[in-house]
Amino acid sequence: MRQQYINRSLVLVFGLAIVGIGVIVQMFRIQNSDQAKIFLSQGDLYAGEFRMFYPERGEIYDRQGHLIAGNRTVFEVGVSLDEMEDVDAMSYVLGTYLNMTFEEVHDKLVNSPESWTYIVIKDYVDVETVEALRQILQQLDDANDNRLDGLGFKPHYQRSYPEEKLASNVLGFVTRDGRGYFGIEEKYNDLLAGVPVQVWVPRDPNKAIDIPKVPNGTTLVLTLNRDLQAKVENILDQSLLEYGANNGTIIVMDPKTGEILAMATTPRMNLNNYTDYFQVYDNGSQYNRSIGMAYEAGSVVKVLTMAAALDTGTVTPETSFIDTGSINVGGITIQNWDRQPWGQQDMIGCLQHSLNVCLAWVATQMGSPTFYSYMEHFGLGHPTGVDLSGEAMGRLKVPGDSDWYPVDLGTNAFGQGVTVTPIQMLMAVSAVANDGRMVTPHMLYAMLRDGHQYNVPSQYAGAPISAQTARTLTQMLSVSLEGESSDALLPGYRVAGKTGTAQIPTDYGYDPERTNASFIGWGPVDDPRFMIYVWLQEPQTSIWSSQTAAPIFAEVAEQTVITLNIPPDLVRNQYGSR
Amino acid sequence: MQLQATNIIHAYRQAPWRVQRQYVGAFLLIVIVVALISALYLDVTARSALAGREIQELQTEITTMQRLNADLETKLASLTSSSTMQQRALELGYRPVKPGELDYVFVPGYAAPEPDILLAAVDMTSSSPRLPEEYTESLLEWLDTRVKFGDTP
Repeated sequence: MRQQYINRSLVLVFGLAIVGIGVIVQMFRIQNSDQAKIFLSQGDLYAGEFRMFYPERGEIYDRQGHLIAGNRTVFEVGVSLDEMEDVDAMSYVLGTYLNMTFEEVHDKLVNSPESWTYIVIKDYVDVETVEALRQILQQLDDANDNRLDGLGFKPHYQRSYPEEKLASNVLGFVTRDGRGYFGIEEKYNDLLAGVPVQVWVPRDPNKAIDIPKVPNGTTLVLTLNRDLQAKVENILDQSLLEYGANNGTIIVMDPKTGEILAMATTPRMNLNNYTDYFQVYDNGSQYNRSIGMAYEAGSVVKVLTMAAALDTGTVTPETSFIDTGSINVGGITIQNWDRQPWGQQDMIGCLQHSLNVCLAWVATQMGSPTFYSYMEHFGLGHPTGVDLSGEAMGRLKVPGDSDWYPVDLGTNAFGQGVTVTPIQMLMAVSAVANDGRMVTPHMLYAMLRDGHQYNVPSQYAGAPISAQTARTLTQMLSVSLEGESSDALLPGYRVAGKTGTAQIPTDYGYDPERTNASFIGWGPVDDPRFMIYVWLQEPQTSIWSSQTAAPIFAEVAEQTVITLNIPPDLVRNQYGSR
Repeated sequence: MQLQATNIIHAYRQAPWRVQRQYVGAFLLIVIVVALISALYLDVTARSALAGREIQELQTEITTMQRLNADLETKLASLTSSSTMQQRALELGYRPVKPGELDYVFVPGYAAPEPDILLAAVDMTSSSPRLPEEYTESLLEWLDTRVKFGDTP
């Protein structure tokens, strides 16, 4: 009996062992079968998803910490087609709230490709609309109504410009594909945009730590002063109306550092509606005329000619010149702006009365090699390197060029036949305002990344003239302004500057009725804190810059000293003596 | 008498039911140990999963807060934009100042304050978020730390 019991037990144990081993073998077989690999790969599909992480685009602030380009949340509204229950209800609700027709939405939902499981109905939908849709979803959910099942919202960032049109020509804009165009947005696009990262995001909570941190784009702080920018834009807009000019540009720069404090130009556009670009501008060079449009600036170039002549010792302020009203250079007769002789003049008189004949004579006294060498050192014909996208180079013809003629020496001396951008003139003349050292104009004050601040140092672009020459010329320009009681003078502050009225070249020669009116000036002359360039295109009330650009300079200078807290010379000298 | 007692004890020790009980006891001990380890593992895994889930939720919350923060910053900037502030100032009866109306006071050693955005940047370096070691170190690393430094953290 006992043996029988043992035998039965052994059979049972053996049988169970066989079954157990069979189970284990089957487990291994199933887990290593081809089907298992398919199931595993299918399982992996649900274990997580590849997701592209776009970093938040870096913000842009002005030098006082005002946000001038930020980000706001918008939503992509889509429908999961597998979960959709009622296409008519979905079409009706989305059509109503997304400003689309019932047919538009219905067509998208019904005629989507069969393989699609999700379809985007509309992107860049604002928060308010999405909140309204969410409320409807919630109400339906409370009532166990599934007619809007499948409706989903995916948030993402959109560039936003709180100041709308302010400094639009400087900032540029960002399109929906996240790329910056023009200005700061294009120049620093890589820094601002950051680096998008595509990663596998696991659904397994144990692997939550694997989700990478995507650093935001670099935040930029500009040298721009928002309040001054607003005032300068306002002055420019008023001036265009007052003088009937087509367009205009005003730049305010710190001549010691090259920091651009304000840069206003027309036309401007609301950056939040960047699609208006094609209605506002005909081509890219118009976007920011301060840097993108070269023109014949006229007599403001005389500052550079005189600087070169003083620096080489060709003339001194007291050098005498008898103006007969014309001079022959390269076989061509050059005349003054009024075609009149001005008699005996010293160099201050030549600048004060803006005598073409005198400056052409000065250039001929220097000779072509010296004159053009100085113009090259002043940066004419080369980009300044300003950190804004779309800078034009201008054109300086030099001896040896196929289109250079000997008369060009005389005409170039008073700014005819040479094209420059306003920013080029500012950089060149900064040498005069800054003791001979020329500064590179720039817009970036600091960068902020990962909690660290990187300040952008000022860069010098050479010293084309000596400090002594710079001081002498500053005095000459200051005296010449005071001598003619210029409209550019600012009570309480001693300023230096020069007008420039240039006829506009056409295919048939220069048009005497249409001019570009310019003015470049700086102050206070003993300690320059601002440098201003004004350019009015084709003013109608007067073609002369002394009657248009010069008073604008004074107005901008007035607002600049108020905004930057620059005391009048008398007050400053009193404090300085303490 | 003593021999009889020794034999009884010996017989008791070698009793088949007692040997079986020892085997069963050993087997049960193994089962209990395995069950304990499994329970411990399950507990740790569950806690880890909960913590992971919490991290996922916090990450989602961080993203939501960052978006909200960006929205609010932009909204604030719109409400304090140059044109809006100018309009409000005019409505309140202010007017632009003229140069002659300004008085300048000399303050020795005065330096204009830095903008908030630059001041914030310097402070942020010391407060960058960091995940606690409890979430990142392995059991072996934890043991190694305890062996080297004792219980003091």
